[in-house]
Amino acid sequence: MTPDTGAYYYAAYAVVVALYTGYAVSIWRRGRRARSRRP
Amino acid sequence: MTEPSSAPAARVTGAGFDALFFASVAAVMAALARIAFFTPIEATQGAAQKIYYIHVPAALSAYLALIVMALMSLVYLWLHDDRADRMAESAGEVAFVFTTAVLVTGPLWGKPVWGAWWTWDARLSLTLFLWFITAAYLVLRGAVDDVRMRARYSAVLAVLAALLIPFIHLSVYLFRTLHPMPIVLKPELPSLPPEMLTTFAASTLAFLFFCGMLLRVRYRLALIRRLSEELA
Repeated sequence: MTPDTGAYYYAAYAVVVALYTGYAVSIWRRGRRARSRRP
Repeated sequence: MTEPSSAPAARVTGAGFDALFFASVAAVMAALARIAFFTPIEATQGAAQKIYYIHVPAALSAYLALIVMALMSLVYLWLHDDRADRMAESAGEVAFVFTTAVLVTGPLWGKPVWGAWWTWDARLSLTLFLWFITAAYLVLRGAVDDVRMRARYSAVLAVLAALLIPFIHLSVYLFRTLHPMPIVLKPELPSLPPEMLTTFAASTLAFLFFCGMLLRVRYRLALIRRLSEELA
């Protein structure tokens, strides 16, 4: 019988999507801040 | 010694989140959909086996970023070109994110399959050391004010960090480890069934594409920052 390990699978995918999305958003925000500092 | 050129920075106008970047995001989403809906569940491990399709591509993407970081660091040490240092910095940050993904997804697979979140086996320990070295690289860059000293110190550390990659990949052959042996990246033919192999290949290509696009937007951020510093 196949074990029910779906919770680990969903947790891994949620963490990875959050990590990559968070990083992309941080680059976008830092870029916006840097551009706004241009004299 | 080559003086830093401001020409590339002057050309930077947007953030780099263009159609190519969103194409890479779409590729990752398509790969995740294929993993979820069009890939069979492995009989002995259950759905947790599907973590493999994001864990290994994340590791390969981290290797790619680390190799770019090391090569650009060597270019900096050789030519003293500021652009190479900025690219190495960008690659180091992207490598840190992907190595974090590897270290998070690994235990989430290990717990249901091994019965333990973590074990101090060679592959896991070396990957954790690599994560610490990449973190140290980023901390070092923030700690040194002098631009040339910062670039030189961090370039040396980047090259040393990349030397860990072959040891990590070969650790399952060199030591007795709990970590599974490679089932695709090995001298013999892959041991995955065709459907799973196709999913793995699609996921790997999508993640490498996304990694490349993250590198690109992060490099543009580095150029924008430099332009802001020069104009300030």
